[in-house]
Amino acid sequence: MIPLYGFLEGDSLGLLILAREDDTLARLAERLQSAAELRVAPLKMPCVVVAGRTLDPEMTVAAAGLTPLDKFEVRGDDR
Amino acid sequence: MLKRAQWFDLARQLDWKFSYVDEVDVFPVETAGQPWLPREEWAGWDEPFRTTYTEYVNTQHEKEAALAAVQESAGRREDFAKLPREWLSAVKLHTATLPLAEFAAVVGNLRAARFGRTSAWRTTALFGALDEFRHTQIPLLLMQDLVAQDPQFDWTHRLYHSNNWVAIAARHLVDELLYGASAIEFAVATNFVFETGFTNLQFVGLSALARQVGDRMFEKMLGSIQSDEARHAQIGEPVLRTLVKHDRDYAQYLVDKWFWRSWLLFAVVTGFAMDYLTPLRHRTSSFKDFVKEWVVDQYLRMLEDVGLTRPWYWPMFEEALNNYHHLVYASAYTYRASVWFDLVVPGPDERRWLRQQYPDSWDAIDPIWERIGARWKVTDPDNDFGVHGTAIIGFCNLCQLVLCNGTPHKNGATTLQKDGQKYIFCSEPCRWIFEQEQSRYAGHKDVVKRVLAGEAPANLVAMLRGYFGLSFEDWGKDACGGKYPWATRTR
Repeated sequence: MIPLYGFLEGDSLGLLILAREDDTLARLAERLQSAAELRVAPLKMPCVVVAGRTLDPEMTVAAAGLTPLDKFEVRGDDR
Repeated sequence: MLKRAQWFDLARQLDWKFSYVDEVDVFPVETAGQPWLPREEWAGWDEPFRTTYTEYVNTQHEKEAALAAVQESAGRREDFAKLPREWLSAVKLHTATLPLAEFAAVVGNLRAARFGRTSAWRTTALFGALDEFRHTQIPLLLMQDLVAQDPQFDWTHRLYHSNNWVAIAARHLVDELLYGASAIEFAVATNFVFETGFTNLQFVGLSALARQVGDRMFEKMLGSIQSDEARHAQIGEPVLRTLVKHDRDYAQYLVDKWFWRSWLLFAVVTGFAMDYLTPLRHRTSSFKDFVKEWVVDQYLRMLEDVGLTRPWYWPMFEEALNNYHHLVYASAYTYRASVWFDLVVPGPDERRWLRQQYPDSWDAIDPIWERIGARWKVTDPDNDFGVHGTAIIGFCNLCQLVLCNGTPHKNGATTLQKDGQKYIFCSEPCRWIFEQEQSRYAGHKDVVKRVLAGEAPANLVAMLRGYFGLSFEDWGKDACGGKYPWATRTR
């Protein structure tokens, strides 16, 4: 499992999310939204942003180049 | 017998030229601080109180007598039992965070009492050390009496001896500010920035709220402590003026670094108390207004007066003033079992008030409370873990606090990769401070890195019990057990 810092749009804090290398970014977004559901309602069109770039939701965590303690954001649109 | 005016100045400025040792050996730069200057450069050092030891003892005796009288009349267990529960949480937060930090300040003051560069500075710092002993002992004494009826008050003494995440953050600050700083850095950081810039928030602002709430004991305790702080804080400005004269860039760096670090602490300790833990009917103004009145206006004037400018990150501070303590509070509420005091959900009236006070930021924060409130409506009363987070939280590698800077729309966290290590920070200023003195900070593990290293458990309950030192009896809960008048059960 890879520990990543996740930041969900609308949330009050960053969380540590454990992901698998072969998780898609869509699955990664689900993991973060699930971890933050107490504070943030599910986003309609979540997208994963890494280093300022919105990535393909079907891309895997490994293909996105995410390694332990990297940071990603989940936002409600593709701004 | 000589009159005071005949001996005072001579006794107070009793410095002389050394003949058997070099001055730099008596005041080494590591403990006296940089820049190292010969004693002539410090000869004009002065502060306005100019107290003698006799005057100090007499004044302190009067303060102690006044405080004892208030304790006798308003500091009994039954007096505390009458106070609102959320207000008692503000008291628990304050009294756990400050007394043992005050004890560390004894050490910092004693270092200045030995390595300050003029005898007047050293004498004032010695009084400061005696002050800080008093500030340690008063809350410990008063709160100890309440432990029997509420074990959360035991955290007045326990906090700094634990690995609770708040304690880790507080120690990270206190160890550097009070134990590790040279006499010069201590004077700038503690006396000028922390005490002159910020403690009025807690000791004047919160004291005024204590009066509103009817907590006379807390009000008088804070007022009595502040009268000491106001005196020994005067050490800071004359030290800073000398520093500005000889190394302006370093002076600017120190005040910028310590303003940001102090701000984060007070945003949590005072921000929680003023905007959430003081019952709405007793609030006189928002935390933001207190900060503007007691910190911003006064501090910027002082900076300008000594020839310095506002910190480079001022726009981020202004954004944080509207957001940071709100985001930390919402986060702490949803992880309340990780602290030693109870928290409350702001109801419709409180949220309306917060929207009025924070028109630029509240609309983005309010949906978090809407969501939490909705969860309570489908959760059985007192089922605290039904409305509680379980994921591991991220912590800043500088301040060690939760990653809550920025806004709900855009978190302010930022990363750094250096020497094969990855770091995360809650904000640009925290990263900037880290980069200025990386060797000082890089070896410290935040909670996440302790978990990943196998030094702390990853399971939340195991962490609360086995690492943070909490138990069901004393960990934080919803102060109302979720039984809010607005939270009508929908199932």
